[in-house]
Amino acid sequence: MSTPVLEVRNLTKHFPVKSGIFKRSTAAVQAVTDVSFAVGAGETLAIVGESGCGKSTTGRALLRLLEPDSGEVVLDGEDVIALSPSRLQGARRHMQMVFQDPFGSLNPRMTVRETLMEPILLHRVASGPAADKMVSELLKTVGLNDYHAERYPHEFSGGQRQRICIARALATRPRLIVCDEPVSALDVSVQAQIVNLLQDLQKQFGMAYVFISHDLAVVRHIAKRVAVMYLGRIVEEAPAEEIFATPRHPYTRALIEAAPKPVPGAAEGREMVMGDAPSALRPPSGCAFHPRCPLAQDICKRERPELRAMPSASGTAAAACHFAETVAAMPAESTRPTPEILARRLAVLAEARAAQAAAG
Amino acid sequence: MTLAEASTAPAAAAAAAPPEDAAPPRRKSWFRRLLRDKAAVAAMTVLGIIIFGAIFAPLLATHDPYVNSRSVMTPPVWQAGGEAEHLLGTDGQGRDIFSRILYGSRLTLLIGLVSVGIGGFIGSMIGLLSAFYTRLDAWLMRLMDMMLSFPAILLGLALVAVMGQGAVPVIIALAVSSIPDCARISRGIAVGVMKMEFIEAGRAVGLSDRDLFRKYLLRNCISSIMIFISLRFGQVILIGAALSFLGLGARPPMAELGMMASQGRDYLLFAPHIAVIPSVVIFIIVLCANVAGDALRDVLDPRLQA
Ligand SMILES: Nc1ncnc2c1ncn2[C@@H]1O[C@H](COP(=O)(O)OP(=O)(O)OP(=O)(O)O)[C@@H](O)[C@H]1O
Ligand SMILES: [Mg+2]
Repeated sequence: MSTPVLEVRNLTKHFPVKSGIFKRSTAAVQAVTDVSFAVGAGETLAIVGESGCGKSTTGRALLRLLEPDSGEVVLDGEDVIALSPSRLQGARRHMQMVFQDPFGSLNPRMTVRETLMEPILLHRVASGPAADKMVSELLKTVGLNDYHAERYPHEFSGGQRQRICIARALATRPRLIVCDEPVSALDVSVQAQIVNLLQDLQKQFGMAYVFISHDLAVVRHIAKRVAVMYLGRIVEEAPAEEIFATPRHPYTRALIEAAPKPVPGAAEGREMVMGDAPSALRPPSGCAFHPRCPLAQDICKRERPELRAMPSASGTAAAACHFAETVAAMPAESTRPTPEILARRLAVLAEARAAQAAAG
Repeated sequence: MTLAEASTAPAAAAAAAPPEDAAPPRRKSWFRRLLRDKAAVAAMTVLGIIIFGAIFAPLLATHDPYVNSRSVMTPPVWQAGGEAEHLLGTDGQGRDIFSRILYGSRLTLLIGLVSVGIGGFIGSMIGLLSAFYTRLDAWLMRLMDMMLSFPAILLGLALVAVMGQGAVPVIIALAVSSIPDCARISRGIAVGVMKMEFIEAGRAVGLSDRDLFRKYLLRNCISSIMIFISLRFGQVILIGAALSFLGLGARPPMAELGMMASQGRDYLLFAPHIAVIPSVVIFIIVLCANVAGDALRDVLDPRLQA
């Protein structure tokens, strides 16, 4: 990775919890703590983790849709967090977002043309007839037709709406697009189309993606690097092939083993994570994962392991576990075949890609 | 370009677009859809006729509404003893009721429209702003609670005591009493809209607060607020009529529907039509406003379009 497009350093966002009649903040939900990563041009970094671990909060804080408590977000050499409100508005041209819910993220009162025209005119990408032409080009780029432009969002299917959202994000030719679970609300076959579309667009326009997901099949398909979050912190980050081949954190290992959920009745892995995720309101002492970790020792309860570089093929893997070396050396997972459903999902993605290649 | 390449390009485009919308159907205009609603058409026609009559009262009135005649308490034409000269009969002072209804609806509608317009505008702005700027929320809503605890009738009495009898204090009282209701309802609507992801999406695009407020929040709330205001219009007409009935509104001999009903009260036993006819007109106006408001909401909300 040469100079990264996006560099995030020590991003932190805690939500105060207000209680009592005087609305004093008594505690804080530690949604995101000390998160750092970098994404290069044309690269995809996936953020994975279970529900409530702070993925969306990270994505929103990146784009300053939420004001982070501290940290830096450097986009093309410019610290987004330090920008004044007016400069920030201009900088939004370079960073866009695709949301999870294609039914909720489009203004129901605006036609597709209005929706797409908005960022074009706002950021003065084009005007007049050139803007019209751009709208029809955008529609074509995401696989829609000109006559769709005059329709309202409710006249489209979920997949089509997500295409519109992607077109909107693409309109200003941003350097970075944050995709917050862009396919999890869609049917599997439609998921494949959208994921492939995102990939093609990235090849064509070279923007960086921060791809938030809890679906490892999709992540494996699209991401170059993967960051695993647990209770607001990154516990492991590595290139996608490495993280799937040799997970170095017991939580990553458990995720890979557990996802997608095995068919009921299928034999569960011996190392399955036990119990629910502890609350981000009061994270456990030491390593936040220790109450659920099969390898937990005394040290895990006392000392929080820092994210440290691990020896690996790429030399860019990092994990936050006192016993990362032990976990990496554990043979069971690497010899275990890819879970059946995961394999099937990957096959669907590959098929859709092949079908598209054959058609185009 | 080879022939094969040329033929696959449209195929790829077709594959991308699901088949169900291969042909672009034309959306019917909201007005066309409104016309399909029979009750709405009826309500709006009746309301239209009343408004037309009110506007052109000087041309349509058969008599001067303020001049007494010798035929007192004449029943309407369709009753025994009715005279063709007075379509709806005459009141206790021999004034032609038909003509007075025309002039009376004029004032009643004007008071209702102006007060609900002012109150609805200020109220819904307060509601929208307190949903949009959550910091203002608690303050504005406490203020509304305070206003809410002050009944319109009492406010009307106080204003009339200060300003003297007339339409203006009644309009002010009705407008002020509409503000907290409109503010609370529109805040409720707006809070729901603010939770939607497209608000955040608009922010992510880089919209200013002003655009976000106008194009995202207001545009998604306006039809629900309008329906509430149109329902409120009916209520305001009723309260306005009540104020006139109590003798606070229009100054006699000016005709106003509520006041006409009030004056007819004295003749209720011998000539019930004097009180009943203006009351029925009030009832019809309120009913039609509600039905029309409901129908408008149905056609203006694209999410309800099948
Ligand atoms: N506005 C808020 N106020 C208070 N707490 C919040 C707020 N937004 C998120 N949180 C809390 O922060 C934590 C992280 O939430 P976040 O939405 O980032 O999770 P996530 O990883 O995106 O989960 P999911 O997979 O369900 O989308 C959660 O515990 C959540 O309850
Ligand atoms: Mg989320």
